[in-house]
Amino acid sequence: MEAIKSQDIGKADLKWNIEYLPERCTMCGSCIATCTLGAIEAGVVRVDKTYSEDFQPTPLRTHRTIPVIKQVKSIANACVGCGMCEKVCPNNAIHPVRNRDNRQTLLSRDAGPIKRGGRTNLNAQRTLDHIIVGRISQMTDPSLDSIRHTFDIRAPFGRVLPAEKLPFVLKDGKLVMAHKAPPVRWIYPLIFSDMSIGALSTRAWEAVSMAVAYLNEKCGLPVRMSSGEGGMPSKLLESEQLKYMILQIASGHFGWNRIIKAMPRMKVDPAGVLIKIGQGAKPGDGGLLQAAKVAEHVQAIRGVPKATLSSPPNHQGLYSIEESVQKMHLSLNAAFGFRVPVAIKCAASATSVSVYNNLLRDPYQICGGFFIDGIQGGTGAANEISLDHTGHPIVSKIRDCYLAAVKQGLQGQIPLYGGGGMGMTGNAAADAFKMICLGANGVFVGKMLIQLLGCVGNEEGHCNACNTGKCPTGICTQDPRLVKRLDIDRGAQKIVDYVLTFDKELRKLMAPIGNSSLPVGRSDALVSTDKAIAEQLGIQYVC
Amino acid sequence: MFTIDTIKGHDRMSTQDLLLAISEAVANGETNFEIAASGQHDIGGPLWHPEGKTLYFHVANAGQRLGSMCLANTEIIADGSVSADVGWLNAGGKITVKGDAGDTAGHCSAGGKIYIGGRGGTRTGSLMKHDPLYEEPQLWILKNVGSFSFEFMGGGRAVVCGIDSEEFDSVLGERPCVGMVGGIVYFRGHSHDHPADILLEELNDDDKAFLSGGMDEFLRAIEKEDLHTELTDWKQWHKLRPLSFEEKQKTNIKHTDMKSFRLNEWIKGGLFSDVAVDDFAVKNLVEKGIYRQRVPQWNNAKYAAPCEFACPANIPTQLRYNMLRKDKQEEAVKLVLEYTPFPGSVCASVCPNPCMDACTRAKIDQAVQIGPLGFQSVYAELDMPTKKTGKKIAVIGGGVAGLSAAWQLIRLGHAVTVYDDADIGGKLEQVIPRARLPHELLQAELKRIETAGVKFVPRCKVDADKFIELRKTNDAVILATGGHKSRFFPWEGVEKLTMGLDFLKAVNRGEHPAVGKNVIVIGCGNSGMDTARGAYDMGAETVTCIDVQKPAAFQDEIEYIEQLGGKLVWPFMTTKITDDGIYDNKGRFVKGDMVIVSIGEAPILDYLPQNENIKKFRDWLVPQADNSILEGIFIAGDVIKPGRLVDAIGSGNKTAYYADAYVMDKTVPAFPEKQKVPEKSLDREYFTKCHHCDLPEPIGDVNRCVSCGTCRDCKTCLESCPEKAIDRIDHGMGIVEYISDPDKCIGCGICAGVCPCGIWEMTANPELIKMYRTGEAE
Repeated sequence: MEAIKSQDIGKADLKWNIEYLPERCTMCGSCIATCTLGAIEAGVVRVDKTYSEDFQPTPLRTHRTIPVIKQVKSIANACVGCGMCEKVCPNNAIHPVRNRDNRQTLLSRDAGPIKRGGRTNLNAQRTLDHIIVGRISQMTDPSLDSIRHTFDIRAPFGRVLPAEKLPFVLKDGKLVMAHKAPPVRWIYPLIFSDMSIGALSTRAWEAVSMAVAYLNEKCGLPVRMSSGEGGMPSKLLESEQLKYMILQIASGHFGWNRIIKAMPRMKVDPAGVLIKIGQGAKPGDGGLLQAAKVAEHVQAIRGVPKATLSSPPNHQGLYSIEESVQKMHLSLNAAFGFRVPVAIKCAASATSVSVYNNLLRDPYQICGGFFIDGIQGGTGAANEISLDHTGHPIVSKIRDCYLAAVKQGLQGQIPLYGGGGMGMTGNAAADAFKMICLGANGVFVGKMLIQLLGCVGNEEGHCNACNTGKCPTGICTQDPRLVKRLDIDRGAQKIVDYVLTFDKELRKLMAPIGNSSLPVGRSDALVSTDKAIAEQLGIQYVC
Repeated sequence: MFTIDTIKGHDRMSTQDLLLAISEAVANGETNFEIAASGQHDIGGPLWHPEGKTLYFHVANAGQRLGSMCLANTEIIADGSVSADVGWLNAGGKITVKGDAGDTAGHCSAGGKIYIGGRGGTRTGSLMKHDPLYEEPQLWILKNVGSFSFEFMGGGRAVVCGIDSEEFDSVLGERPCVGMVGGIVYFRGHSHDHPADILLEELNDDDKAFLSGGMDEFLRAIEKEDLHTELTDWKQWHKLRPLSFEEKQKTNIKHTDMKSFRLNEWIKGGLFSDVAVDDFAVKNLVEKGIYRQRVPQWNNAKYAAPCEFACPANIPTQLRYNMLRKDKQEEAVKLVLEYTPFPGSVCASVCPNPCMDACTRAKIDQAVQIGPLGFQSVYAELDMPTKKTGKKIAVIGGGVAGLSAAWQLIRLGHAVTVYDDADIGGKLEQVIPRARLPHELLQAELKRIETAGVKFVPRCKVDADKFIELRKTNDAVILATGGHKSRFFPWEGVEKLTMGLDFLKAVNRGEHPAVGKNVIVIGCGNSGMDTARGAYDMGAETVTCIDVQKPAAFQDEIEYIEQLGGKLVWPFMTTKITDDGIYDNKGRFVKGDMVIVSIGEAPILDYLPQNENIKKFRDWLVPQADNSILEGIFIAGDVIKPGRLVDAIGSGNKTAYYADAYVMDKTVPAFPEKQKVPEKSLDREYFTKCHHCDLPEPIGDVNRCVSCGTCRDCKTCLESCPEKAIDRIDHGMGIVEYISDPDKCIGCGICAGVCPCGIWEMTANPELIKMYRTGEAE
């Protein structure tokens, strides 16, 4: 008789249950050895039976105590469903299963708000999947051949001036620039978005940046990567590959000491600067890096001791949109001699259009891009309440901003980049294409990249342990024992292969509608089977 | 000769009428056609002579698709230029255009020859094919072609001679050969922008043979023989061909693999090499050694068993059973004496046995019989040290605390004298009813103490002067005078109270104190029950025990009194004591002619110096951490706070520990506080419930003891370790040790999971992997 009380935590209370088949188990211990969460342990069970084999009751008794793998019944060690146990089990004896009737979220709030990583688990609806590329006729619009034709898949990063505003003058029969025009880089419309050094392991961050270099140097795709707000590795700052990097400055201003110190030694300019105001996963919050992940190199690059690092919700010196534009943009434009485009990233919001309008009115032409991050964006750590209950979907927001610019005849002047859930269903090319047709110049992806590296997390409560420092794949952790699980070459290759296919798939959508360049704003190519979506986005409703 | 002018006046013949007329003529055996067309489509095919003769067409002003679907044995000559799609799907005809061809010339042709004497439009030669049953198609063009030429070409040969094309960057237009998978395109002059899977090559002998073999006929057909020399300077020629399938397969694997990219083209050593040491070797999900997440530790006896933990004297009964399990009965019986001199009098007789309450086995069936096991040790003896320290220690108070301290100190080689104002034995001797503790048993255990060398000085009252003397003549003095002043509250009529302790002492002295008929005992603790028992023994007819709260006495003590007819009344807040009985605050009355109070005792400390700084809390002494109150003066037992007898043993042990350190002038760590073995680590599942009838004798209870926190050497871990990482080392004398080899262990913790005793403990791998650093300033 066990002394179990009704309020004791049981397996049934936990989100993930370990399904275990003792008859298949050889007690090799691999599952426990690999589990980073301490969610399973070895134990013994007693198999006591009184049985009878005779033709009348002749009780006999057996007593066996057998070793088993048990799930640890505690919220602190709750299984996250990552499935590493299943992966290492030689006999298919163990795997996690989702427990629909769990009470874990209800019972997990004793120690304050639940923290986790990943994406929203509640607002993962997919507007983009209700949109189809519906204008493909081959009669009215001759299609291109996606494989054999050449495509110009480039997006501007930087303030684009309309032709009449370009400072050209005729001098000795030649057009010359009367003065400097804002820098514009033509880049691949898929930006690897900001995941910080600290949020990611050294290996994961390096795998992503190495994939970027490979895509540029071996595949000719000018993919750019944002550093995230955890600063930059000095080696990269001093390398030629800096030109692929967009340096991020967020409210915590982490890592900028080493960036500035490296300036005299920079061989090339960075691709750009991104001022992060907010992020879609947790609008209103600054970055959050749990102390478990603030390893020595993170402390060094960021210039802080081991502590949980919460960036402030706002840039401390900014008090208005105008000030953001002028002060922050100006300083960062100035930092690189006005040669490097400076863009700004905000969480999508009911007021994003106002912000965009304000940027468009900027008379100094120093805003080089507006990045809007939707609610389905990922994060390394956030309060779950923020992840699930705050934010704004990205699709209509990109559309609204684009149309606001169109209304003023200013479309394309400040490039629009949309992110947050891009590639959530695995096909980022379709998402990107639709976003571009709705008015984006390009999209940015983050979570998808680490999923390619091996992250098993998803938006249905799978893993999402990025904040714990116990990432089973070595991606979102600084524990050397786990970091070294990650194969940097294999991970980078996976990203490269994905992007090469992304490129082909993007063509596969551009070709049928007859565009050999990005169909920015070609919403006529899209239809929706959802009337409300069609109406909101101004695209054809079909059924 | 079939001659036709398709325009008659203002009437133009339709394509349908013309083609039907031609078909009819062919069916009638006509072979020669002279057609003055006016843009009609599809002239020249598909047609065949009934006798297989060659059909000759001379066409002027043809429309689109001249010679479309043309079969072998059809020859078409067009003067001047033609519109789009000449030779579309040509299946064998020979088509000659003297001037320019429109767009998509030779489109999809899979046989025959097409000669163009001028330029070709866009997409010329697209989708040409070669059916291997027939000769490959040829498309010859004198000048150049428009953009997207030879798209998706799958076979045949195209020849672009590049005459009169100097103004063009490419004689093949922009983006030629996109999607080309077969055939060859020869061209003279420049071309550019070929897809990556198209090879630009120089001519080989076969190519030259083909071109020179066909050139004369082509030039003759378009009447440009004069260009022969110019066009046979092969140095000016090139060819384009697609990579074969096999070649493409090879190129697909040829891309730089990521590892060599990292090693050769990426930032040397990795971009974090200044702040992270990393060889990029990839670890498995299951690792050994330093990369294990967790490591096992064989923490034998690190934790106290619940019995040991619950016992104030820290008696490790699990060790006793461990010895018994190994047939070391003598050691087991002696072991307890290292912790208490009273295994029989206290453990086995009067102790409430908190050890048994805590016993893990109690959670399975019934506690291991730890208390009664004490009887085994009543006559056991310990060897005493032959070497004496020469230190003298006086113990004032011959009760359990003082004797325990004396016992420990004598074992350390000190000279110990115990003083008591009564007979040695304290409450065991003076107060505990003999029925609960047989006198011979107590005397045997007291004798053991005396035999060990402790000098007993009974009936020696230590007053202030004596205390000063003892202090002077000893290296240390231990005060363990206990509590001997019965406590009571200032109820009305307190003068009528009989003091419980005095009463019990009188009983044990054999004085047979007089009792009333109806006795009331205030206090329902164990001493209250002892008092009630004494009252009955002395002849009382009824005994009523009252208490303000739920009786604290043991159940069997209460039952014993109730069995004698005693009653327990509670809650009862006494307010008044009269000759007839007592009243409580609610006016309740209990009848009785004698009221004995037994709610505890306070120490009598009149022998202590008044002028020294001795801390007290109410009636009790407050010791320093080392149980001293003054330099060289230590205290133990009920002078600190009232407690059970076993508390007095624990207190005596602790005081002896510090007194020894004091007299030997040595620094010692704090008296060890035990940690209890985590309940979760014990596997009760190994043990099956024992029927209460099957309980063995206490000394035989070896198998029921779980051996909490102490390795029982069952070898389950050894047998269960999947990596065979555990070794058992036999040190002899029954001492074994288990170790886990880090080079084999994967840190799965099966050892900890299967260990019944909670010995193996898993902790996060403490071995540091030095990976990160700060970097270096430039």
